[in-house]
Amino acid sequence: MLPPPAVFHFLWEINTDLVKDGASVRTNGRSVYSLKLLISYKPEGSKAVLSGQQSSAQCHVYVQTTLVEPFQPILGAQYFVLGEIEKTDGLTGVILHARALSNVDGVDLTLMQKAIREQRCFFKKRIPEINEQYSASLHTV
Amino acid sequence: MAVNPADADADELPSVLWGLDPVFSAYSRLYITDILQMKESRQVPGVYFYKTHPLFQVDVLGTVVYKREREDFYCYGVDDSTGVINCLCWKNEKWNDQGESTECRDPSGSSRGFNIEDELKRLKEAERKSTVLEIGDLLRVRGTLKTSRDAREIRATSFYKVNDPLMAVQISRMLEMPQLYRKCYDQLFQMPRDDLGGTEAGGSSHFHCLLSRSVLALKEFLLEKEVARFRPYDVEFLLHPLIQSSSAEQRTFLICCCFFLADAEKGCHVLHILSSLRQRYSQNLSREVLEVALTFLECNSDIISTTEAHYTVL
Repeated sequence: MLPPPAVFHFLWEINTDLVKDGASVRTNGRSVYSLKLLISYKPEGSKAVLSGQQSSAQCHVYVQTTLVEPFQPILGAQYFVLGEIEKTDGLTGVILHARALSNVDGVDLTLMQKAIREQRCFFKKRIPEINEQYSASLHTV
Repeated sequence: MAVNPADADADELPSVLWGLDPVFSAYSRLYITDILQMKESRQVPGVYFYKTHPLFQVDVLGTVVYKREREDFYCYGVDDSTGVINCLCWKNEKWNDQGESTECRDPSGSSRGFNIEDELKRLKEAERKSTVLEIGDLLRVRGTLKTSRDAREIRATSFYKVNDPLMAVQISRMLEMPQLYRKCYDQLFQMPRDDLGGTEAGGSSHFHCLLSRSVLALKEFLLEKEVARFRPYDVEFLLHPLIQSSSAEQRTFLICCCFFLADAEKGCHVLHILSSLRQRYSQNLSREVLEVALTFLECNSDIISTTEAHYTVL
């Protein structure tokens, strides 16, 4: 009845094999542009694109915002999103179906990344039986 | 999930000693995945063990991913990124009292009375708003852990919506948790060094044996006499056979235990303890010495001060 826990991921990890299809994740990124695609008789819903930066590489993730409508996008703002991954073969690659989306402009990104890394490090060091569920979601299938 | 057979057979800490572990009295901040996987105690159902620590109260912070509302309560599913758990949050009746009209103000019609009522209304409204959450909101819950229908859930004693626009609260929690685990929860529970019984033969085990027997004697007496409250004077005789074999310090401690049990709700005033000890043992006992002893006991979490001059045990 309860959804599975949404594990923290960095934006650049979403597009890689690190995340399984159907997994619940939470991540954050900067809103780049928001697309509203309405096809007659089959409204596709709205899509937003989040961008994040690792070293010098930019990466984009498409976010399906149907469940969190009405959604007032502020372009260029930082967003925190929690939802399910869907891996498609199309141009868009991976789509994140957002269940929760919130504006977190002003968040200390460096500190947040440090906190996520520290939490991961802590879980990796623990006895495997205890964090079996958690580490399974971090590794490739 | 594979369970380490050694863990399943490991002895639990005896329940009479649970009060000595500070984690037992605290609202533990554990990851939800740990809360869900903790073993229930074989001695007392409703108490759970995280490694060597007994506990039954937890404090979680997470995103609401599930919501169910009933007439009396909300059931929020909270996700802290390691696990999801249901939290039962009771509604407070006073929030429903929205029907207060502005007519029912102070009959004298003083403007001061009107302001207070207004502020009170606003306070109630703010309190109520902090308890109605939607999916995606951040929730902080402190409550007791229960297992109901094979599922773990938290019965909230307090809960509120956290306004965290910069994610500062979540980030600081994420940084703090591994530290808490390393310093506290993952540390093996150590029996406090027994200064009181150090010179006696058998030392701490002798003392604990005394403690267990004194608790047992008191319990039997209470059962027999069917009393809920009693004076320390009435039960001291039960402890005399035990006291004779122990040192002076242990005697003092046992007497203290006795007093505290008598006034479990509010605690026992320090002067009351002092006068009784003076009657029983020595007129020369000074308040300062007693307070040193009480502070020592409080530091070891044996007793708790309910006010500046009242002490009690859990």
